[in-house]
Parts: sequence; structure tokens; C-alpha cells
Amino acid sequence: MMSDDERIDARLSAFFSSPEARPDEAFVTRIERALLAERKLAAARVAAWRRFRGETAASLAIVVAFALLWRLAPAGLPLDQLAVGPAAAALLVLFLWFAVELRPAATGW
Amino acid sequence: MDQDAVLARNAAAGDVAAFTALVRAHEAAVRRFLGRLTRDGAADDLAQEVFLRAWRSAGAYRGDGSYRGWLLRIAWTEFLGSTRAAGRRAARDQSAYEAGQPPQRDAEAALDLARALAALGERERAAASLCFGEGCSHSEAAEIMGLPLGTLKSILARARTALASRLEIG
Repeated sequence: MMSDDERIDARLSAFFSSPEARPDEAFVTRIERALLAERKLAAARVAAWRRFRGETAASLAIVVAFALLWRLAPAGLPLDQLAVGPAAAALLVLFLWFAVELRPAATGW
Repeated sequence: MDQDAVLARNAAAGDVAAFTALVRAHEAAVRRFLGRLTRDGAADDLAQEVFLRAWRSAGAYRGDGSYRGWLLRIAWTEFLGSTRAAGRRAARDQSAYEAGQPPQRDAEAALDLARALAALGERERAAASLCFGEGCSHSEAAEIMGLPLGTLKSILARARTALASRLEIG
């Protein structure tokens, strides 16, 4: 024997019931595409972060190398006797590096 | 281990095909639940967010409950987040709510149900949708909504009374 609540629950469940539908393939495809797009974005983000770390390390290495060269220069040597000062050389190398890195083919512009 | 658990484990390892199979199996329940909660027909967009979140945190599914229940819990959280973000907790246009309802067997009954649901609060609507619509047990619904069992039962009793009155059941 059903209680009042059980009877009401059964009637309400009947109101809520909807026919068993086949999976909505359009929606499944939409999710699949969103997943693939997210995967690509994540891969691009990882690649960009790896590249950033590599280039930052390379830049630091160049700066440190030139700082060491500067310190190793003979003590009494006047700067105007150096063909190219370490800072000028560093700037030149950095300029070349940027020129290579920022060329349209490298950035995809 | 049931099929969902195996698919979920593979999805956690990055298997898109396994996750797609889970989407295919559970999209109807998630969209139906969100369709009954949302008032502006945004159920599909929310459902997409639910599945993307499930994909991102696939490793968080421990297999101690049903996968569908886990998805519905994410759906409830997403729904609450979306209403808070948009500041839409206030009552909204009922016709917009009705327009977002999923198709039912009987259009007239569906409209009656949509009107009756529109008169309920979010928690009553969710509890009724879970227990009457999705066949969840009280404890499962409480788990999905993050509520103590007693609180869920109180909310459900309020929802039952209101729905029965509006749908002239009893």
C-alpha cells in the first residue's frame, strides 16, 4: 500500500519523465571540438612557456658572459682602446638576436 | 569496475575517445537537469562548461559514486556559479524560463511542469529535478547538492508540496 507521499512522488516522477532520447550527436561533436581546441591551446601555452624560459635563459647567459668579459678586461686599459666595448658588443648581439627572432617568418605574422 | 569507471580512468589519462563516450552516455541527463534549473535557455552552454570542467579535472573522479552523479554535482556548482556571476538570483521572466525547457512527451504537461518549477526556488527546483526527474536517491541528491541529508529532505518536502499544489496532484 503506497503512502500519500509515495503516491505524489510517483505522479511527480511521471510529470518529470521524458522519453529516452538517442544521444545528441551534434552536442557530442560540439564538446569533442571544444576539447580538441582546449588541447591545442594547452599545447601552445606549454610551447610558448618553454620557449620563453629558453630565451630568458639565453639572454641571461649573454648578459652574464659580457659582464664577465668586462670584469676580465686588463685593469689599466682605457676603454677607448677597446675596439668594441663589452656593452656595445652585447647590444649588437642582442640586436641581431631580436632581428632574427622578430622577423615575420619567426613570429608567424 | 563498471564501464563508466573504466572510461573515466582512461579519460583521466588523456583519452579523448573515452571521454567522448562518457559525454554521449550522460549529456542528456546533464542538459535535462540544467534545462530545468536555468531560466534563460542557457542550459547547453552551461552543459558544455560542465563537460570541459569534467575533462580538466578528470583525475578527481574517484569512482566512489556514479559518474552521472559526479557530473550532476559539477552541473549544480556551475549553475550556482553562473547565477552568482551574472547576479541573476532574483526572479526572472517566466516565459524565458519556459522557453529553455527541454522537450517533453506531452507539451501541455511540460508547460505545466515548467510553470510549477518556475515558482520554486533554485534549491527546491534542483532537488525535485534530481529526485523526481533523474531518479536520484535522497542521499545521492544531497551529495550532488552538497547538503546534509536532513536539509535535502526538508527542501524536497517543500518542493513536493508546492509542485503537487500547482499541478493539482494529491
